[in-house]
Amino acid sequence: MYAEFDLHVPADMDAALAALAENGARGPIMPIAGGTNMIVDLRARSVSPRALVSIAKVPGMRGIEIDDARVRMGGRTTVSDLLRHPELGQIAPSLVESARLFAGQMVRNTATVAGNICSGSPAADLVPPLLALDAEVTLASRSASRSLALADFFQGYKQMQRRPDELMIEVSFPRPSANATNSFYKLARRKGDAITVVGVAVAMRVEGDACHDVRIALGSVAPVVLRASGAEATLEGQPASAERIEAAARAAMEAVSPIDDIRASADYRSHCVHVLTRRLLTEARAQLAREGAGA
Amino acid sequence: MSDSAITPRAGANVDFRQVGKPLPRIDAPGKAHGKTRYAGDYVMPNMLHAKVLRSPEASARLTRIDASKARALPGVACVLTHVELPDRMAPTDIPGQTGRKRLDTDQQILVRERVRYHGEPLALVAAESAAIAEKAMDLIAFDLEPLPGVYSVEDALAPGAPVVQGADNIVSTYKVRKGDVQAGFAAADTIIENTYHTQFIEHAFLEPEVGLAWVDENEVINIRMSTQVIEHFRFIAEAVGVPHNKVRILGSLVGGGFGGKEDITVEIYLALLARATGRPVRLCYTREDSFFGHGKRHPFSITHRTGFTRDGKITALQVDMTADAGAYVFLSPYVLLYATVASPGPYRVDNLHVDARAVATNNMYTSAFRGFGAAQACVAHEQQMDEAAKALGIDPLELRRRNFLRTGDPIATGVPIESAVWSDECMTRAWDALGERSEERGPIRIGRGVAAYQQSYGRITWLHDTSEAWVGVEMDGTVVVRSGVTDIGAGQVSALAQIAAELLGVGLTDVTVYNSDSATTPLAGTTTATRALYMTGNAVRLAAEAVRGRLLDRAARAFGVETNAVDMADSVVFVRDRPQTCMSLTDLVATCASEGIHRSELVMFRAPFTDGIDAETGQGRVHPDYAYGAQAVEVAVDTETGEVSVLKCIGAHDVGQAINPDAVEGQIEGGTSQGLGYALSEELIYENGKLVTPSFSEYLIPTAMDMPRVQSIILESRSGVGPFGAKGIGEPSLTPVAPAIANAVADAIGVRIADLPITPEKVVKALASAGRGP
Repeated sequence: MYAEFDLHVPADMDAALAALAENGARGPIMPIAGGTNMIVDLRARSVSPRALVSIAKVPGMRGIEIDDARVRMGGRTTVSDLLRHPELGQIAPSLVESARLFAGQMVRNTATVAGNICSGSPAADLVPPLLALDAEVTLASRSASRSLALADFFQGYKQMQRRPDELMIEVSFPRPSANATNSFYKLARRKGDAITVVGVAVAMRVEGDACHDVRIALGSVAPVVLRASGAEATLEGQPASAERIEAAARAAMEAVSPIDDIRASADYRSHCVHVLTRRLLTEARAQLAREGAGA
Repeated sequence: MSDSAITPRAGANVDFRQVGKPLPRIDAPGKAHGKTRYAGDYVMPNMLHAKVLRSPEASARLTRIDASKARALPGVACVLTHVELPDRMAPTDIPGQTGRKRLDTDQQILVRERVRYHGEPLALVAAESAAIAEKAMDLIAFDLEPLPGVYSVEDALAPGAPVVQGADNIVSTYKVRKGDVQAGFAAADTIIENTYHTQFIEHAFLEPEVGLAWVDENEVINIRMSTQVIEHFRFIAEAVGVPHNKVRILGSLVGGGFGGKEDITVEIYLALLARATGRPVRLCYTREDSFFGHGKRHPFSITHRTGFTRDGKITALQVDMTADAGAYVFLSPYVLLYATVASPGPYRVDNLHVDARAVATNNMYTSAFRGFGAAQACVAHEQQMDEAAKALGIDPLELRRRNFLRTGDPIATGVPIESAVWSDECMTRAWDALGERSEERGPIRIGRGVAAYQQSYGRITWLHDTSEAWVGVEMDGTVVVRSGVTDIGAGQVSALAQIAAELLGVGLTDVTVYNSDSATTPLAGTTTATRALYMTGNAVRLAAEAVRGRLLDRAARAFGVETNAVDMADSVVFVRDRPQTCMSLTDLVATCASEGIHRSELVMFRAPFTDGIDAETGQGRVHPDYAYGAQAVEVAVDTETGEVSVLKCIGAHDVGQAINPDAVEGQIEGGTSQGLGYALSEELIYENGKLVTPSFSEYLIPTAMDMPRVQSIILESRSGVGPFGAKGIGEPSLTPVAPAIANAVADAIGVRIADLPITPEKVVKALASAGRGP
């Protein structure tokens, strides 16, 4: 691999943000965490940073904290960390499932939550579940820090709200209530270590017969990971009948704008959005019915 | 991952002490402990690092190449372009032992004027570091003027098509004219015709191509290489322009070959750079280099037109097959021949008509790959058998049974098969091992399939194949084997040790094998064509038997008995009926040494030698023998998303005699994994000749999550021409896997997907067009 850049390894957050603040006309300065996208991009010469700022030694950026209200993950929390957490699988099965199917073991051990989001890829596997969980991201720079909804973070294909001097230090989402469920399905050309062809995450809560806070997030079927708002609205406040689920699945299919690539055609992706959205909504309804009956 | 079934033995009276035992392979500890040195682990003082600059175009004219800026870069030792190699060519033929090669198969080493494929090398760089070499590549200026290209066999055969090779892009043809096909079709109650397609496939070995070359004080170019074929030293010498005895290839344990390290890869580049610089040069391909740098498996289009009687007997078969040879000839004619011979499968077909052709295109060149044409032939004949079974309303296993070859029956080329044909036993055992059928739930459909095969082992008999080995007993009773065989991970060397241990009455750990050195080990003639055990195993057997004979003669004299009354085991020599009459092997060896009795032997084993087949009829001997077996699989298909999961996978193979059953299982498991990828996910995609899948994120080999438990059923007919009746398993283990999976998918969904790989999208489309969607 031939690439020339300066590598900064700051020991604390102030130094890391100071290094990123040097971004300017002389070429980009980019943060590197797990490097599982960055190294590939460097080898392909699709990025040529003047400097990389490794956050490997910045304390306090890795870990998962769960309280009654929120689940908070440091930006440098690895995908494997999600899998190892004793409670997260109960609270956010969709996120843990996406972590389980994320790349291969070596990549999971080093790839980070913030890195996956900031790759901006529509195929980023952690993003559909995080969108469906109403996640929020926190961006810090030397001058300020700000939080915004993950749904507002993505602006277009590989276009994001993060400024070059900002670091994504935290990702968090509200702790789902007891009568809620969330799930994720990854469709790919093989079972392990594959780029997603269609990713679907679904979350919802029931009160009586009615569905609330319905979230449907779709990966790899548009320039960005997409919330299917129309499909969500079809079910919001309504009983999840088979007909409504079918209508929501169709609405999800109509919301996407996939492309043909070497992995699959646009038509096939649309078809699978329909199938998988219907499947996950049906399973969610069945699960909530079981839990409701059990309660 | 594997079960060893109870093994029916044809020669049940044979009692082995070492052979047939699942002993830990002698190469296992080094690999398990990380001590094995692969070719890429070797470094030398003052070593340079090399890189290859490749064409970004598939069909173009090189109008200018200027390396002056690259040469001026500090740290660059050498840049070679065609300008420095005006009279040098690279041979691409099989390295035969006869010194002959096909004259029309030489290839330019670096592009002189015409680029024929995407990735064809333009220049070689050697520098103080790999990073400097890569930087230097950026500084080589060149102009490519695009030329019209042909990117499919249809385009290449069209009138007026640009010519890539030869006069008309047809680089090879084969024919079979056997019996009377017209009469056979006239006698048929049903005629079934289908066309099957296979794709470009990558070997995807764990260890990319790598080597280290240096010129020694005797002007010998030494190359430490990851290769299947140290015998390439002759071709390398001819390419570089030095005598044969001035090139030496030192192999090392190979991290996977599968045919992809059968052709010369980086050896000539290394030799040229080491000579040009006078310094050691290392060249290690990146994964991308490897995708661009070696030949692929041939895509085939195969049409079968088969006549059957009402009760399922084949009356005639007409096969038409076309292979994409890519931009250079390499081993395409041989692959095409193997496909031709294997085209009817393990079935008796008295009226057979085959037309086969390999066609040059501006795609990547295609060459050897485990299965070598017979695998593609199997994809066609086994799917055709299932389609016929469906049309005839006969059980697919029963239809096969009614047509399987029997020992003594003529194969496609008219030569009777002499060894056991246990196709039925293998198929039945594999099928029965599937056990209870898995349950169908919701949109999930379960399907089952089998495939049987005929796969040659040993090289084409008119190549006059030979293999040499030296076996000797040291003064302390330990044993040394010397043979040039390369070990590509299948346990080739360990099997030789096991054979020598058996015959010389010692333990496996008492044997040391020196192998894979073209200068100091007797040449074994390549680890390819499922020939290493057959050829070199026989050479070691003959050499060990000769030494054994002399040792036993001397012991018999000491014991006062006939030689055939003496045996040896556990490093002790004894009278078989009176084991207390004995001496240690060490004492016997000392006696022999002091009396000048020769304790070693160099043997050449010769395969059957024949002339070529008849060009018009395709009749005559092609291979020494054939292996037979079968695969049975069960799959689950999601009829909504098209995802296919292989649930059960059983390979049942008559290996003749397993030298080491664990090593045989390793081959069956590995072959299964490679076959699963062939069936479901692997495909090199060339768009207008340009490879768009040059990484493992696009080229999808199966992962552990994709693999079912693999069950191996090893049958031993002891009827093969290898040592102790062994046949071969390296290629056979792969050959039936993909068609068995294809048949299982068709069984599950009721629709045939005749183009590999069977992707989820193809499943959904096939179901939709058949009106069977969910």
